[in-house]
Amino acid sequence: MRLMAIAIVALAVVVGVAPQYTHCRTGASMSGGATKAATTGGAMNAPASVSAMASATATAQPMRCYWSARAEIGVAVPLALAGALLALSRRRETRRVLALLGATLGVVAMLVPTVLIGVCPTATAVCRTTMRPMLLAAGGLVVALCVAALVLNELRATDDGVSGTGGDARVAVAVAGPSAPGAAP
Amino acid sequence: MRLGRLTVLALRTAAGDPVRSWLIAVCAFAIAAFAVSTAILVRGGQESLHLAAARLGADVVVVPRGAATEVDGALLMGTVSRRWMPAADVARVAAVRGVAVASPQIYLESLSHASCCAVSDMFVVAFDPRTDFTVEPWLRRQLGGTLGVQQAVGGSQVTTPVNYNIMLYGYTMWLRGKLEPTGTNLDRSLFITLPTAYAMARASRTTAVKPLVIPKDRVSSVMVKVTPGADPARVAGAISRAVPGVSAVVRPQMFAVERTQIAGLLHVMLVVLAMLLALALVVLVLLLSMAAHERRRELGVLRALGASRGVVVVALLAEALVVACAGGLAGAAVAAFGVSLFHTLIATRLGIPFVYPGGGALTAEIVAGLGLSFLAVGVAAAVPALRVSGEEPALAMRE
Amino acid sequence: MSGSDEVQPPAGNGREPLVSLAGVSKVYEAPRSLPVAALREIDLEVAAGEFVVVTGRSAAGKTTLLNVIAGLSRPTAGAVRIGGTDLWRLPDRRRSRLRNATVGFVFQFPSLLPSLTVLQNVLLPLSLGPAESSAGNEHALALLDMVGLGGVERSHPRRLSAGQQQRVVIARALVNRPRLLLADEPTSNLDEQTEAEIMGLLERIHGETGTTVVLVTHAADLVGRGTRHLVMTDGAVRPAATLGRGCEDTPRGIS
Repeated sequence: MRLMAIAIVALAVVVGVAPQYTHCRTGASMSGGATKAATTGGAMNAPASVSAMASATATAQPMRCYWSARAEIGVAVPLALAGALLALSRRRETRRVLALLGATLGVVAMLVPTVLIGVCPTATAVCRTTMRPMLLAAGGLVVALCVAALVLNELRATDDGVSGTGGDARVAVAVAGPSAPGAAP
Repeated sequence: MRLGRLTVLALRTAAGDPVRSWLIAVCAFAIAAFAVSTAILVRGGQESLHLAAARLGADVVVVPRGAATEVDGALLMGTVSRRWMPAADVARVAAVRGVAVASPQIYLESLSHASCCAVSDMFVVAFDPRTDFTVEPWLRRQLGGTLGVQQAVGGSQVTTPVNYNIMLYGYTMWLRGKLEPTGTNLDRSLFITLPTAYAMARASRTTAVKPLVIPKDRVSSVMVKVTPGADPARVAGAISRAVPGVSAVVRPQMFAVERTQIAGLLHVMLVVLAMLLALALVVLVLLLSMAAHERRRELGVLRALGASRGVVVVALLAEALVVACAGGLAGAAVAAFGVSLFHTLIATRLGIPFVYPGGGALTAEIVAGLGLSFLAVGVAAAVPALRVSGEEPALAMRE
Repeated sequence: MSGSDEVQPPAGNGREPLVSLAGVSKVYEAPRSLPVAALREIDLEVAAGEFVVVTGRSAAGKTTLLNVIAGLSRPTAGAVRIGGTDLWRLPDRRRSRLRNATVGFVFQFPSLLPSLTVLQNVLLPLSLGPAESSAGNEHALALLDMVGLGGVERSHPRRLSAGQQQRVVIARALVNRPRLLLADEPTSNLDEQTEAEIMGLLERIHGETGTTVVLVTHAADLVGRGTRHLVMTDGAVRPAATLGRGCEDTPRGIS
């Protein structure tokens, strides 16, 4: 259980830190322009051409992946805390809650770069090739570890509650032999 | 002994020594993961080349002499190609015996170092709608007709949604559809007709910062379909002799550099896999020999209770393979998911085209990887199992 | 010393012996040391229904004798028959099957599989046999009751005392209803009271089921438990007085 919790903390660090170095740099975006013209891939030979194509209000804005990276910090911090508490906690109920919380945060970590905010659409962009898969893998691992911790927690509860037979067998069982019916003298 | 009881015994024995079981599982994990990754990457690369060649649809590709590698690079990896051949060569090629259709193509580039949220380095393929057999069949199938002027079709990774406008050199076109993925630069390409290309070049003189210049009476390549029954290699040879200044490349030799790269990658990965297997085998034989030795007395008791040699061997193998199953499955899953998540990054770093294998091929690769890990663990377990089972039970119980 | 008096069951029972050893020798070859003759040309017959107690000093060959009878150790010379079948003319698989069906073994050392529960340990001979049936569970539980361990079937051996573990071993030895029960110093690691209980159990089993018992021990005071007493000395077997009489035949100095 402790090993799992440490692994969750390590994954939380990955979720929080890695995206900060794997999102795309701030790029130019177009405002106004044709309706339904979603991108202008290749319209410019040089960055300066952007302003020639865009309306006068074109400004440099962070990309979606930048906001995803920032959002992941908000997931990573509580996840790291949950992992740390899971390592330290001795109460079964507390561990159960922390494992559920961790699993939920793992799911959120996966949803941020895919559904909730997203990343750049370009197939070769670093946020798509590196940041998003890394977050999906880390989030998936967090969910798997938290589910395993939950199962382990419940199994240990079952063992502690039912295993009275083991240690008591030595005491509880009557010694056979003379007392058994029909036993030889 | 019934399979169910044997499996239960194997599982319980494996659980009784978690450290050893983990080590065995890790070895099986490593073998399966590496084998499956290798298979997926190599198959993905080969499949990508196959799809790209099929996308072009040509039996022979005619390019300016010495430009074959450059053209391959442009089509597959998006590297710039600025080699041209005279447009008159198209007619000369078409006149060669065995040529059914000769269709010219012009390759254009949009820009380099584009910003993140545009399609960077968009590659444009301009084709002759009267003779084309690359895109036209798909257009007839999917759209019921050919492309008009100011219309385009994109590769699967063009970010503009279908039926939206896309602008190049200040020239707006209607994106009518997207082709199936090939794992190559063709997925990030735009396909337009030659009239559209020339119209765009004319318009760019006033609408783009830097105009698009298409050399007059020049083409980048000629795609050739041979007549039924003709040998593409012979036709290619005839074209090379009949038309000076060109190279004719048959389909199996297309993308030669990339094929060599993939073959090289396979070679390297197989060498690493062999080394990994050897190391894992040594570790496994040691671990399983230790396990069998420690259980000699227990196995002697089993023999005393009526287990034959065969049962003892199967019991030891079962214990090892149960653990190998868990490790191997985990390794195969990690490899399959890992490559799936990171395939673009991996392919870019390795410099190969890549398309993720489909269900059947993927299943076969996973089964092969699992099989290899089972074989390794099975062989490593068989060695001590045969030795221990052959020992006299009375001697084994003497420990 | 070579050979021994041919050791036969009490005269007059008229039955083919269940166990028959003819000219059996066992020599252990060890590297860098002289060969050790554990058994020397033993001729021995045990009739069905007997309770044979074999005593002798340590290293007299008692355990080797039991192992040879059970087919766990191949004799260097001679023939071993169980129920008329020459063990070493059978292939390993058939010999194992015969042992599974005919012989129950109680070992001197802890022999329960630690990864299995008590019930699973008792059922092990059935699992190794040709046909496993659901009635096996009931029979195993009945045996555990008989040996005084009803209720511990789900426990693991590590939770039982040495005496309790030995009772489980006895139950396991009986689960296949063997014709022959071999017990190799079953009480050597037990206290006096537990030893008495275990011996009482073995006597009860012999008395109630008619199982043939061959018990090996170095404890002279257990001699009186059996119907026949044999003494092993340096790999040779000779009869001692039966039914505990003839103490002059009992080796001195054996604890």
